[in-house]
Amino acid sequence: MSKEKDQKKKRSPLLKMLFGGKGDLSIYEEELVQSPLRTIISNFRDNKVAMTGFIGFIIILLIVIIGPFIYPIDTSFSEVSQINVAPGLDMMDVPKQLQGNIKQISIGPTFSVGISNDGEVFIWGKTRISSALDVANIPEDMGKIVQVSAGFDHIIFLNEDGKLFFSGNNRQRQCSPPYEVENLTNIKQIEAGYQSSIVVTEDGYVYYFGNSMNNDYNEMNPYQGQIDKIVTTADGVIGLTKSGEVVYLGNQQNAYTRFPENMGKIVDIGTTASTVAAVNEDGKVFVWGNISTKGEGKPPVLEEKIVSIQGGRYHYTALTENGKIVSWGANNYKQSEVPSELKDVKIVNYYTDYYQNYAIDENGNLHTWGLKGYVFGTDELGRDILSRLINGGRMSVFIGAVAVVISTIIGIIVGSISGFVGGKVDTVLQRISEMVASLPFLPFAMILSSLIGNALTSNQRIFMIMVILGLLSWPGLQRLVRAQILSIREQEYVTAAKSVGIKQSSIIFKHILPNVVSVIIVSATLDFATSMLTEATLSYLGFGVQPPQPTWGNMLYGANNSIVIQNYWWRWVFASIILGVCVICINLIGDGLRDAIDPKSQER
Amino acid sequence: MLKYVGKRIMYMILVFLIMSIVLFFLYNLIPGDPARAELEPIKNKITPEEYQYRYQLARQRLGLDDPMPVRYAKWMNGVLHGDLGMSSIYKAPVNQVIVNPMKITVFINIFSIIITLAITIPLGIFTAVKKNSIFDKSVQVLTIIGYSIPIFIIALLFIYLFAVKLGWFPVSGLNTPNFSGTAWEEFKDTMYHLALPLGVMTVGSLGGLTRYIRAAMIDSLSMDYIRTARAKGLKERVVIFSHAWRNALLPIITLLISWLMSVFAGSLVVERMFNLKGMGDFYISALVNQDYNVALAIQLFYIILALLGNLLSDLSYGIVDPRVRVNK
Repeated sequence: MSKEKDQKKKRSPLLKMLFGGKGDLSIYEEELVQSPLRTIISNFRDNKVAMTGFIGFIIILLIVIIGPFIYPIDTSFSEVSQINVAPGLDMMDVPKQLQGNIKQISIGPTFSVGISNDGEVFIWGKTRISSALDVANIPEDMGKIVQVSAGFDHIIFLNEDGKLFFSGNNRQRQCSPPYEVENLTNIKQIEAGYQSSIVVTEDGYVYYFGNSMNNDYNEMNPYQGQIDKIVTTADGVIGLTKSGEVVYLGNQQNAYTRFPENMGKIVDIGTTASTVAAVNEDGKVFVWGNISTKGEGKPPVLEEKIVSIQGGRYHYTALTENGKIVSWGANNYKQSEVPSELKDVKIVNYYTDYYQNYAIDENGNLHTWGLKGYVFGTDELGRDILSRLINGGRMSVFIGAVAVVISTIIGIIVGSISGFVGGKVDTVLQRISEMVASLPFLPFAMILSSLIGNALTSNQRIFMIMVILGLLSWPGLQRLVRAQILSIREQEYVTAAKSVGIKQSSIIFKHILPNVVSVIIVSATLDFATSMLTEATLSYLGFGVQPPQPTWGNMLYGANNSIVIQNYWWRWVFASIILGVCVICINLIGDGLRDAIDPKSQER
Repeated sequence: MLKYVGKRIMYMILVFLIMSIVLFFLYNLIPGDPARAELEPIKNKITPEEYQYRYQLARQRLGLDDPMPVRYAKWMNGVLHGDLGMSSIYKAPVNQVIVNPMKITVFINIFSIIITLAITIPLGIFTAVKKNSIFDKSVQVLTIIGYSIPIFIIALLFIYLFAVKLGWFPVSGLNTPNFSGTAWEEFKDTMYHLALPLGVMTVGSLGGLTRYIRAAMIDSLSMDYIRTARAKGLKERVVIFSHAWRNALLPIITLLISWLMSVFAGSLVVERMFNLKGMGDFYISALVNQDYNVALAIQLFYIILALLGNLLSDLSYGIVDPRVRVNK
């Protein structure tokens, strides 16, 4: 007993505020008389389980209300290079052994590969491409590697003897060099593109193998023997000749072949997924191709000369003659936001591709910026699950809340009229209510959604779901309110109110309803949980809110096959957890409220 | 009693008619011309005049130019005579198409109901008797979690655990493809395939039901007549099962009936997830493929089921609790 007392005293004020706990009364004190509302609140606060649920729900609520402002959602977003990325923030975690000893880094969509000055290979990031493929499974006995290149889903290695090695996806034969390539001894540059591999020799010849449907490359191009450097976009091959001219190595006439005029002698070229950039002798940058609105076509105006350029997925990073780094273009992963610490150091080398940037300053220190990874992974369209969870949560909670408001209003009105007026009105209303209650909820909601929903826009559809949920779930509350009112109607104060001639409607709403508010609150809380569950089930089956607008239910829509369940667990686990936790919290609050309002039920 | 039953049945029929009217008019809101759809396959083979002629004929035959009430009367007449229209996907009468799925659904649901009741009733009674014990408290926590998690998440977890990780059970289907064997072997094979879905359905309905049975049991255990029974020196077993349980049954039966309905609705999700070709799966496919005759028929089935459930629950009061006079 005394031990228990000690523990009570130790409780911090914060815990006391949250979880209540009555102080011990001395013998001279008397417990204060409390209003019923205060009793309910203090009862509720004494209930640790309910209070935990309450805090949990408030936290979730805050996250889904404030979160969307921090992580705004772009419903049209999709990124093919970031599909089904596992959770984790290790995409730019360069291994310790490599730091300070970097010879080259090459960057893929979700992984990076680096070689040390000793020719050792390091691969980091999300290296699993599919359930069976992992680019980190590199061939053994490669010898001393002198050059690497990471492509969309494969990596090329070149060792000091001029031999090529590959890892990753070989579906388009991008890892199976033809005979003449295998015998080359004078390889100067290797380039892994989108499902393609390109080799450039010292004497300016280009060899291409891999996907030839998607990538436009002409083997018989007139520039064989003159090529100095090759870069690839997502669908084209661009070369820089030894005489400083940019050439397109494909068959088609397209945006890449619309070269800007008067470029002069070009010293370096770079590409994003759909644009080409070139730097001329005077340090001027030209960008052409299918320029998007993301800003890669607008290089910043600088006083210094730019000497080299590299492109990411939708951004460019360039180095000036004084060792300054500039970045421009898309910034959705902060990939073109050069860290401020780089202002005062001289950069000697840098590597940019996809969404990552690595820069090495003159002291050999490594600086990185761009996409670190995804806390909760990405889904089948490359969308960040965290931001979808947050935005989807807002939608789920909002739909549940509006549905409950609708059903509560209907329930209160029908229940109070039915209970107070009685007679024929009561009979008719009760029959209607029974009818609605006897409807099989889920199938009926589904048929309504599919019959009405076809002609609606996505916002109207969301509204329709709320209304359907609200219209189908009021009978339970109605019955409760009616029963309460039937018992209260006979009490003296109602008779008194009637006898002084107060209007019926104000007797119902001002004199009787306040006495049933507690019942309504409990029922509404539990209904809230049910509505959220129903919405999730509907959306999961494809009859609720439609993608791309996320809700916790429809985020699980694609999860129903064993490949996703097994290999891409993050696509269903997080949404399930947060939905489950949220509903559990709401149910705990509802139970706690019921116990607090009706102490008799606490015995249960 | 008979008068009461008659009244209830009349009321049921009324509700059924109203619901069918609502559904029929909703169904007719959908844009689309069945006559044109019917002629679509032969459109290119016949001359425009003939097409027009046949089109008008089809419209007349399908009664598309009649006013709404007439069309409803015709449709209802068909439904009452067992003619639910043609399925546009399966190109066969709906009442033929629907037989097999209905068998599967009823089979699954009856099994899951039996299993669930076999678990929840003893569990509910036991936790009520041992109220506030550690076992009771942990069951309380588990049941709250159980009824807060939607059934498809339970299914995902089960698939992940038992099918993907442990590989104990198959994920989909009702039988091994090309299975042959005796009836008993076939039954065993079916049960092996149904183990996961049945498990999911049971776990899904365990939470709410156990809590409810426990609450009803606690209520009835706190009554005075229980104290009297104990004071008489009756065995605890007799007190619990014949005094308390009989009296707890009344609220439980109300719930059970509404639960039966929700089991059928819940099996819709489970059937979909485990690829069992039952009513629920059929219903979703029909809605997705806009085969509305089938969807409407299944919806009517669900409504009839619900109405029967209501009737049953009203009648069972009289059987379980003599205090309830049903012939009022």
